[in-house]
Amino acid sequence: MPAGLILVVILLAFCVAGLLNADSTLRKSNAKGDGWRNEIAKTVAAVTDTFQINFFRNTIDDALGKNQGTKIDVEELLRQQAEAESAAAAEAAQKVPELVAPTPAEPMKIWVGGDSITQTFGTSFQRITQSTGIFTPTLDFHVSTGLARPDYYNWPEHLVKDVLPTNPSILVIMFGANDGQNMVDASGKALQRYSEPWMIEYRRRVAATMDLLKAPENNRITIWCGPPPMGPGTKTHGMDQLNYIYWSEAQTRPWIQYFDTWPFFSDTNYVFAANLPNADGVVRGMRQKDNVHLSTVGGDRLSWAVIDRIGKLVDLSAGNVTPPPSQAPPASVVERTEVPPNMPGAE
Amino acid sequence: MLFPTVDFAVFFLVVFTGSWLLRPHKIAWRWFILAASCVFYGWWDWNYLTLLLLSIGINWFLGLVVYKALTPDGERTNASRWLVRIAVIVNLGILGYFKYFDFFISTITDKMRSIGISVDTPLLNIILPVGISFFTFQAISYVIDIGRGQWRKPLNILDFAVYLSFFAHLVAGPIVRASEFAPQLDEEPDPRYVRSGEAFMLIFRGMFKKVVISSFLATQIVDPVFANPDAYGSLAVLMAIYAYAVQIYADFSGYTDIAIGIALLLGIRFPQNFDSPYIAVTLQDFWNRWHMTLSRWLRDYLYIPLGGNRGSKAMMYRNLFLVMIIGGLWHGANWTFVVWGAIHGGYLVAERIVRGKWKGHELGLPPHLVKAMQWFLVFNVVCLAWVFFRAQSIDGAFTLLGRLFASGGSDAGVSLLLVIVIVASIASQFVPPRFPQKAEVWFATWAPALQTAALAGGLVLVDALGPEGIAPFIYFQF
Repeated sequence: MPAGLILVVILLAFCVAGLLNADSTLRKSNAKGDGWRNEIAKTVAAVTDTFQINFFRNTIDDALGKNQGTKIDVEELLRQQAEAESAAAAEAAQKVPELVAPTPAEPMKIWVGGDSITQTFGTSFQRITQSTGIFTPTLDFHVSTGLARPDYYNWPEHLVKDVLPTNPSILVIMFGANDGQNMVDASGKALQRYSEPWMIEYRRRVAATMDLLKAPENNRITIWCGPPPMGPGTKTHGMDQLNYIYWSEAQTRPWIQYFDTWPFFSDTNYVFAANLPNADGVVRGMRQKDNVHLSTVGGDRLSWAVIDRIGKLVDLSAGNVTPPPSQAPPASVVERTEVPPNMPGAE
Repeated sequence: MLFPTVDFAVFFLVVFTGSWLLRPHKIAWRWFILAASCVFYGWWDWNYLTLLLLSIGINWFLGLVVYKALTPDGERTNASRWLVRIAVIVNLGILGYFKYFDFFISTITDKMRSIGISVDTPLLNIILPVGISFFTFQAISYVIDIGRGQWRKPLNILDFAVYLSFFAHLVAGPIVRASEFAPQLDEEPDPRYVRSGEAFMLIFRGMFKKVVISSFLATQIVDPVFANPDAYGSLAVLMAIYAYAVQIYADFSGYTDIAIGIALLLGIRFPQNFDSPYIAVTLQDFWNRWHMTLSRWLRDYLYIPLGGNRGSKAMMYRNLFLVMIIGGLWHGANWTFVVWGAIHGGYLVAERIVRGKWKGHELGLPPHLVKAMQWFLVFNVVCLAWVFFRAQSIDGAFTLLGRLFASGGSDAGVSLLLVIVIVASIASQFVPPRFPQKAEVWFATWAPALQTAALAGGLVLVDALGPEGIAPFIYFQF
């Protein structure tokens, strides 16, 4: 075929595919937060929406079971919860919940969930908590999810409708790694990632999600784990800023216990470190090759640190909660008392 | 810039148009392609570009001085030999710094700690520039070929720059030799006869393999199981091992297919890099089919200089084993790659020994059954080696292999669809090449409007079946 005709064929094919895939392209563009490209993607999506050209692609997506998200906002979920909650329950939630000490005869239900980082961490956590003999763990992770894209996966809704009805005493939760992307607020306005309006909207979602996790009888604790620092070469930035939001919002909510993962995956200057010594002094790889996800060793390290933290809130003496030195962090590694909004080298 | 992205689509439309318009103007075309390649590479990180340009400058200069040190008849001299050695050391030095420095330091630190000496050696956390292994190997082959007198006239710096930086092969191969690429710079392909049918089929096939097959297998079973083997049962672990074998093939050969297709649309033909590797019945055959341009590089620039098949059998086995170990290390600074190389090297040696001893002996079994058994054995040895290739550490690999024989654990992720994808992907390699070739020819006969519709439909299909984001190609890290 002549080169000129090939150019026409390619150009037309790109245009047709671009129109048919407009919604998908916009979703990806929103996720990447890529400025002028996002504007183009929005314009194309608006055109296809007007002429219903996206029907073909949306039908395929529906048939494939994509887009498990909904448009239900956290505020709506909160309103429903408030209607069901009594004033006495709100009063009880002003102090850290006191949980009954678990025993092998009556183990404690513990739920761990979040994004793909929780996949590794959660699997370690599930294995280790099970080995203590006093927990009944449940792992519930969904890759590429967070609080930024309820249209893709609506975590607050999932928590309220699917997780809380199972009555876990403790939830261990981690989001953030996928949230550094543009968002659309409740009014449909697109917000540039990490811009001031974006921060306000994200903080609103975090706060509301935390409120949703409050138990009416104040008998549930959520360990909210901030994401660890991301390594060089990754495109995941701003975890320090998200951690600051989680930490500051947790300060006024006793049922939310913020867990600071940062020191456990950084050097003494709080700078990302892929290899770190555990309590036995042996240096091991804490991260997967992508420098984002935790390795099994890293998952074990975080699991024991979180169990240690739970032990400060609940009596775990009936279980085998002494970590092997090869799996636990050194005693010198501790959480920070304050989480600053910006960390050097985090970008 | 990743191939299956909108950014690359726009970039390629500009390059395609500019390339064919400028092709009659040889110098202008070269500058255009060089500029396009710099934009393509700089898209990742403009700092990387400095390294690429540095490599171009150094190797072009070394090629020139090596050539001048040869006799007028192109025979080697002591000076040319030394200059070639310097070129190899310089190139490997740069590669070693970026790829192996931290590994070296952490290995030394661990060893010293194991004997009770605690040292605090800071790691540099060096970021590996994309594609450095590929363009470094190409540069080495260029200088060595000149030093051997096989390449009688060094390229001018513009031609060399275009050769080394050409965007289609820059970041993940194929490893193209100057002798294959440079003559095509002087040709003037007819713009009325572009092999679009073959190119479109290659690009679509590559995108489907990468975006759909590779991504599906990675998220469905490979990543979860390799991240936490302890949580999974033997069936899930077995499926994850086979799935990874398919994933890495789909990922890497997918990239190569797209690269070859794109180059073809610009009138440049790359050498083949994969030839249905999982149908191999011997490991030697596997290496004639897998990453073929790396295999022949290792053969010509490492195996033969080490002595190759010359000398005693013991030396030949040593050379074979050594080449595979080094081939393993080429993939990255981790002991897992050394073990991967050792498995391949060990099996290749064993294969030769057994073949030598069994020559003339008959098993008394039907030849087809023997072939099937050989295939089964080779495929599983390759899969076993992949476990070490994919695992984070040797301990991690053994943990995973141990789970194959342990009870308990979840078989989450194993589904009928997964089994179908794995089996179909492997079975597709047994399809004779004449069928896809016939399909390419048939596609080329379609009316342009029909081809447009098919391409658009293909892009929608790949996007719909693929994940929400585009994962980087596995081989970029090498």
